Amino acid sequence: MKNVSGVYIHIPFCKSICTYCDFCKVLYQDKWAIAYLKKLKEEILDRYMKDDIKTIYIGGGTPSCLSLKELKYLLELTNIFKKDNLQEFTFECNIEDINKELLLLLKEYHVNRLSIGIESFDEENLLLMHRNNNYQDTLNKIKLIRELGFNNINLDLIYALPKEKLSTVKKDLKLLLKLNPEHISTYSLMIEDNTFLSYKKINNIPEELDYEMYEYICNKLKKKGYIHYEVSNFSKEGYESIHNLGYWNNSEYYGFGCGASGYIDNIRYDNTRSLSNYLKGMISSSEVLLSKDDLMEYELILGLRKIEGINLQEFYNKYHVNMQDRFPIKPLIKNRDLVYKDGYVKINPKKIYVMNEILLKLV
Amino acid sequence: MQESNIRNFSIIAHIDHGKSTLADRILEITNAVSKREMKDQLLDSMDIERERGITIKLNTVKLNYTYNNKEYILNLIDTPGHVDFSYEVSRSLAACEGAILVVDAHQGIEAQTLANLYLAMQNDLTIIPVINKIDLPNADIPKVTKELHDVLGFKEEEIVLCSGKTGEGVKELLDAVVERIPAPKIDVDAPTRALIYDSYFDSYKGVVLLVKVVDGIINVKDKIKMMATGKVFDVTEVGVKTPKEELLDNLSSGSVGFIAGSIKDISSVHVGDTITTLNKEASTPLDGYERMKPMVFSGIYPVDASKYEQLKEALEKLKLNDASLTFEPVTSDALGFGFHIGFLGLLHAEIITTRLEREFNLDIVVTSPTVVYQVYLTDKRVLIVDNPNKMPTREKILKIEEPYIYTNIIAPSSYVGSIMELCQNKRGIYKSIDYINDTRVNIHYELPLSEVVYDFYDKLKSRTNGYASFDYELIGYMESNLVKMDILLNGEKIDALSMIVHKDIAYEKGRSITKKLKEVIPRQMFQVSIQASIGSKIIAREDISAMKKNVLAKCYGGDVSRKKKLLEAQKEGKKRMKMVGRVEVPSEAFLSILGSDD
Repeated sequence: MKNVSGVYIHIPFCKSICTYCDFCKVLYQDKWAIAYLKKLKEEILDRYMKDDIKTIYIGGGTPSCLSLKELKYLLELTNIFKKDNLQEFTFECNIEDINKELLLLLKEYHVNRLSIGIESFDEENLLLMHRNNNYQDTLNKIKLIRELGFNNINLDLIYALPKEKLSTVKKDLKLLLKLNPEHISTYSLMIEDNTFLSYKKINNIPEELDYEMYEYICNKLKKKGYIHYEVSNFSKEGYESIHNLGYWNNSEYYGFGCGASGYIDNIRYDNTRSLSNYLKGMISSSEVLLSKDDLMEYELILGLRKIEGINLQEFYNKYHVNMQDRFPIKPLIKNRDLVYKDGYVKINPKKIYVMNEILLKLV
Repeated sequence: MQESNIRNFSIIAHIDHGKSTLADRILEITNAVSKREMKDQLLDSMDIERERGITIKLNTVKLNYTYNNKEYILNLIDTPGHVDFSYEVSRSLAACEGAILVVDAHQGIEAQTLANLYLAMQNDLTIIPVINKIDLPNADIPKVTKELHDVLGFKEEEIVLCSGKTGEGVKELLDAVVERIPAPKIDVDAPTRALIYDSYFDSYKGVVLLVKVVDGIINVKDKIKMMATGKVFDVTEVGVKTPKEELLDNLSSGSVGFIAGSIKDISSVHVGDTITTLNKEASTPLDGYERMKPMVFSGIYPVDASKYEQLKEALEKLKLNDASLTFEPVTSDALGFGFHIGFLGLLHAEIITTRLEREFNLDIVVTSPTVVYQVYLTDKRVLIVDNPNKMPTREKILKIEEPYIYTNIIAPSSYVGSIMELCQNKRGIYKSIDYINDTRVNIHYELPLSEVVYDFYDKLKSRTNGYASFDYELIGYMESNLVKMDILLNGEKIDALSMIVHKDIAYEKGRSITKKLKEVIPRQMFQVSIQASIGSKIIAREDISAMKKNVLAKCYGGDVSRKKKLLEAQKEGKKRMKMVGRVEVPSEAFLSILGSDD
């Protein structure tokens, strides 16, 4: 038995396609959904090595767009895992899919964290993203969720949309905070290749304004008692996402499903992004065996995404190499790109938004 | 070998008048290559030549041709068409007795037609005028015939009509080559003298020399001597190209071919030198040919300082087959060790830098080109300045003179206004306009060469929708009110960006260059100021704000390897940057300051 504790399951179906999304997704069709879930079961049975699972994350796509029957089949698959010590089980939902039946079903299978893509309440933003939202409806749904006993909710917010003003971000954030979520993920819009936005030749907003929005969000959330623990993630104390911290701690995890990625036995693998290939059983797309050097590099570039940074002792325990011997961190501490404090090396909080620039000096 | 059966000739033409296609057809008709081996533009062997449809390097092929039941050997020596390479043209022509002058049946005479014709006439060559592309639907043979008669003085009956594309008239052209071009004077018994007109490096054979044997004979195993350097080598191979290599026992008077002699030391060979043999040594060398002086100078530096030696070797190898290239080591505060390189023109510079990058896989920084100034000092000395950083301070200077050219700009008369405006903007002095026919003119201006090396040709083309052709000759030096302008990054002078400009346009230039640099220098983690100055006076300033964002907003399990790839791509981009002080400057910034105005 190995020591892999995270499981990610990808559901590539959506009822409509968002203009910015470059994840693996297709429009929902019931004949594909059933075939897909069967293949998913095969893949899990084939790959899973009886590890003790601590976190499960079902993401997409839009897992909540499945029918109740399909959902039951999907959730039943999680019983394959040994989960006596399960700490966190996240399920991604679209707000309009949420209803009492769905929530009760999730509850039955021990889902204890809901991640909901709100993204924005602004009409113009929503139109551009090809999404739907209504604040009153959201408020009611959140109320329902609470009533059914879920006490760990993440809400996603996207900012820096074309033409967006700082005032829109302020308004969005204000409404979001009224919902009192335990966790908030805020993303500056990335215009990825092969998305509708890139086809429309949409440009990013000026980076000054982008940074201004980010700074505003960080300050506001801090004031409201949220802990900024990763570049784009904030939570109330004790509600950091355990599953996602696994990624940034460079821990191993299973990735199941079309377009999923996993990291097992020092191998990072990607599953095919083609649904038809996946259904034919041609699951794997690439596998890369990492050298010790690669592992340390991943440890660095992922670990520095955490606001607290990397613990030097833990780094040494893992690789038997001093981080400062492998990476030129000393001169960067000197010029204040990095900060060393209490055994941790972290990105200077003022420079988080240009962290790639700093990483480039290190790798 | 009979005296009268060799003909050495070139084809000269303006770009796009169909020279390479005509050469292909000649190769085919003389069975030098079979249909199967035929690929377009056979003589243009460098990738960059085929890609851009231009000929840079001369190539030679030996062809067999039967005329009136008699066998002839025709040596076809290819020539480049562009003005920058008139040096190569004159080398080719030095090995010939005649030339085919190709003119497009639609376009008529162009600027380089004239330039090449004058070169051929200077070499006392017999010229066969040819109107090519007569198959074109818009061919106007009477018009072009009249131009050849009125402008160049050819008789109508001298002109051969042909089409390189269909092959029509090509046989008649070859007949004319045999009939009209004189056979080389042959003296096999005289002391040996062969002209080196080109050379290249072959990793197995060493330096290979392309020669025209004027007198005597060169055999395999002969000892040959380079008359200029005195170096002696054993001949290991001689032969001709047909265009495949064909090894022979000897090359004798009148013939054109190659010689290999396990020559490893590149510096012992000079193109233009005369070879003689030790067993029949000549006392005086042949007249070489006019050596072209480099007109434009640039600094070339390796992006990675440790590649300096590689850059040096690459330049030595290029020089071997491009005798017009000159270079010497230079040090820049900003760019480290590199070379100060002399080019014939801007296209030449572009070709050399492209070859360094492609054939030698080098990442290089090229600084903006400068011409050669004559600086008269107060102490009566005259200083030759080919590098802005060698310009003395102003109080030591009496006057500065810069090189001027005399233009042939041939274009439809409807563009006269626009062309004159361009020349005026480039500090031109109007001379005259000649009428080639009712609708086409040849515009003559005197222009500072420094204004031409930047972007004159591109501007001319765009203003005339590509209809204008341009050539020039250097006419000498004239006094100008010139100043040295420096560029500072965060207050630090960047020597590689200094330039000499005319005082009247210095402010404008300073503004456009600082603006341009602002566009190409990426944001840094701190603010960067870009200033242009003359002496201690700042004449323009732009600021690049500090970088605010370079982060991957979203990064989860699925994105992890993508994030690493993104970083790797960004890192690759950084490799093309040069650290200037604390500022990362992309290599292209050093050249980008060229195309800056109007």
